[in-house]
Amino acid sequence: MIELSHVSKTYAPTFGRSARALDDVSIRVAAGEVAGISGPAGSGKSTLLSLVLGHERPTSGTLRIDGMDPRRFVEREGIAYQPQRLGVPRRWRVVDALTRLAMLAGVRASETRARVDSAIRDLGLVEERRRRVKSLSQDARVRFGLAPALLADRRVIVLDEPLDGLSTESLELLRGLVVRLRAFDRAILIASRDTAELQRITDRVTFIDRGRIRRIGAQRPVTPANVETVFQLTIHHGGEHVVAVFPTSISLGRGTYSVRVSVAALNRGLRDLIDRGVLLTSVAPVNATIEPVPTPAMDAVAT
Amino acid sequence: MKARTAAYAGVQLGDYLTGRGLLALMLTALAAWGYGVVNGLTLSVFDPSASMETREQLQQAFDVLLAAFALVAAALSAQSLVARHRRRRYDRVLFSNAVSPVRYYAQGFVLAGLGSALLGAAAAEVYAVAVHPISLAGTAAYLVLAWLSIGSLAFLLSVLTPWHTPVLIALLGADLAVDRLVTALHSDGRGGAAIDLAQYLLPPGHVIVALASSFSRGLIVDPRVLAWPVVFGILALVAALLLLRRRPFGT
Repeated sequence: MIELSHVSKTYAPTFGRSARALDDVSIRVAAGEVAGISGPAGSGKSTLLSLVLGHERPTSGTLRIDGMDPRRFVEREGIAYQPQRLGVPRRWRVVDALTRLAMLAGVRASETRARVDSAIRDLGLVEERRRRVKSLSQDARVRFGLAPALLADRRVIVLDEPLDGLSTESLELLRGLVVRLRAFDRAILIASRDTAELQRITDRVTFIDRGRIRRIGAQRPVTPANVETVFQLTIHHGGEHVVAVFPTSISLGRGTYSVRVSVAALNRGLRDLIDRGVLLTSVAPVNATIEPVPTPAMDAVAT
Repeated sequence: MKARTAAYAGVQLGDYLTGRGLLALMLTALAAWGYGVVNGLTLSVFDPSASMETREQLQQAFDVLLAAFALVAAALSAQSLVARHRRRRYDRVLFSNAVSPVRYYAQGFVLAGLGSALLGAAAAEVYAVAVHPISLAGTAAYLVLAWLSIGSLAFLLSVLTPWHTPVLIALLGADLAVDRLVTALHSDGRGGAAIDLAQYLLPPGHVIVALASSFSRGLIVDPRVLAWPVVFGILALVAALLLLRRRPFGT
């Protein structure tokens, strides 16, 4: 999905010496993959992210997202981006800032409040909801910065130093978030100095220093087919078979079920359901920001 | 994408009215107080039975303040349009969404102009009721004209440089100084085509200031006088949008 081929970036100021921030970097991040970029401060991580986001253009080499120029991709689909620094005016209140970001992310007016409330809850910012962004602790600021990934369903997520200043609880939250956001059609790129933690939460870590790739960590086998994603099934009749086929499924009521499985497992399961005579009316991937809420009472009526 | 930017229009207008617009009004109020002190205007000028001379004094005061508000509002417009977003890197988060920087800032520019006209007209209405009758339509039209000419220049400078405000003040100051010089030379019979042409190298600030009186009185203005500020404004606006399209993040 994200492909950098022999990308170099040189800054040439009007006065002073030019500096090469990236030198012949080639990286490929596939859909379904969580990729890490590690390296010391000033190694070129943020430059690389700037190029991916289309803030800057490479001096040489090519960079494509889904086959498009990055800026064109961003203006067409948007990228969920967590910046290293606060990316909104410091006087804004948390809830207002997230409402504005949701509007710009294209969230429908009728859904904005629910999305913002859900993001605030998921990021553990309930107590900070009415506080101004400038008064947030470093830990809360990092969590606040993760909000774009939850407000809208993006195919590309870019996190710049999300581990900086995180408390143990917030680190757990981030780990859970990465697992939850992983989807077969989504690429996640995380840059951090913390190589050890990156190795834990990503499929592969690329270590860069002074603009060059120094080594690439062992890659976990990730393909769109084996990435677990949440799907919603709607069933006309035969709902009693769903738990037998998908033991971890959650009933949402009115014949709908939420299942977290890989695409390969989903296909096997659907075949099994159809063989059992279950009549399916729809199957769709679920936006990562919407958590399944079991409603057993309603389910009893529906089935 | 269009819908996303359009949906944000209310927020942009609200930001202008409660931020830069309000600041422009407050600065103008401060200027009004200073003008009153310097010219010895006291509360007695608000007496309904005031003389014609006093009425004219009030009209002149309004014209000066209208020109001041128009220039201050236009100058402040650039504060949040592009340069501050770049300096503080707000643009990086804003435009990681499927939002075009050109469309976003163009919309912001139009809405700030509308906000300036609304605020100025509202303040003029209060003035007209409480102090002295003036043309509301003329006042609003004047603010739009000032916005188009000087506001567009402020917008262009905001795209070009982080030092847009001092550069704008320097350009406007130079324009007003050259205008005084030209007027003095003409009155001495020493004016020439060359010095007149020199004024076209600077923004039409002096034209905007001079037009305040005609617009606030609701007089018909010679279209040839309007040509320079309108053409200047359109050229500056087009240049700003083209530059934004080419280098949306200034990098």
